Amino acid sequence: MKEGKSVKFNHQQRHQNGHLSPSRFAKLLDPEASWDKDQLGDVLHWIRQVLGLVFGLLWGAVPLVGGIWFILFLVISSAIIYGYYALVLKVDEEEFGGHGALLQEGLFASITLFLLSWILIYSLAHY
Amino acid sequence: MASPSSNFKYSDGLTVVGISICTAIVCEAISWLIIYRSNSYKNLRSSIDKAAKKLETMKTDSNNINVKKSKTRKIDRVETSLKESNRDLSLFKFKSGGVVAVVLFVVFGLLNSLFEGKVVAKLPFQPFGLLMKMSHRGLQGTDPTDCSMAFLYLLCSISIRTNLQKFLGFAPPRGASAGLFPLPDTKTS
Repeated sequence: MKEGKSVKFNHQQRHQNGHLSPSRFAKLLDPEASWDKDQLGDVLHWIRQVLGLVFGLLWGAVPLVGGIWFILFLVISSAIIYGYYALVLKVDEEEFGGHGALLQEGLFASITLFLLSWILIYSLAHY
Repeated sequence: MASPSSNFKYSDGLTVVGISICTAIVCEAISWLIIYRSNSYKNLRSSIDKAAKKLETMKTDSNNINVKKSKTRKIDRVETSLKESNRDLSLFKFKSGGVVAVVLFVVFGLLNSLFEGKVVAKLPFQPFGLLMKMSHRGLQGTDPTDCSMAFLYLLCSISIRTNLQKFLGFAPPRGASAGLFPLPDTKTS
């Protein structure tokens, strides 16, 4: 029953305007909402970027030093992404290419953004 | 070099980031001028999106019912047309990629002459191996946490450019490539 619903219905409303209206915003937390691959990918991408930036700023401001914190960032951000799509949205990951594809969405850009903000804040604030 | 916030020891790092943000914007503007605004690019892109979605729905349908020969033939046809469109798209990208590469190269040369041998930032972790070679490129000291301009510029150009493209909607469509590492199809049914 769940199959196909995510693919078919959302094509029309996509890309009509770039901004989130209240109803679109509510969709982000709605487990009943249907998603297509691009939409879900975009949402996960931007969540990853925000997480990368926030954790980078936080790690740099504290400051947290050592490679272990980098690993910790990877684990936490992946856990948040997993928790978001599996527990909040309750999507069927097989429809979107498996856990690997969803967890990989925006990963590389988020890592570089995290490193950049971590290094920059650490260097500016503590030297 | 005199920079706007010279009360910081590592204000050069900020300058590098600022310059690479400007470069990313310039590169995207160039790409827009050369390819993204042309009608043939837009047509190609929408046809790729459509074909990719069609293929996806056809594949999910064919998992449910018994696969008929005509159906597989149809899937093959859509697949080949998708491949052809992808080839055209990469040709488009190649054109702008050349110009963008020249810009990036010039900016890298400029930054190199400004910050050669200078420590622009301090790493909060100890890099190793290849990462160490990159982050310590052109530096004389032995402190492994010193960060050279090249590494910071690399981080900037990847993170800023990817996100800028995504934000502006210039990122390659998902149908065109399966991410950085294409995953094998895990469907078992």
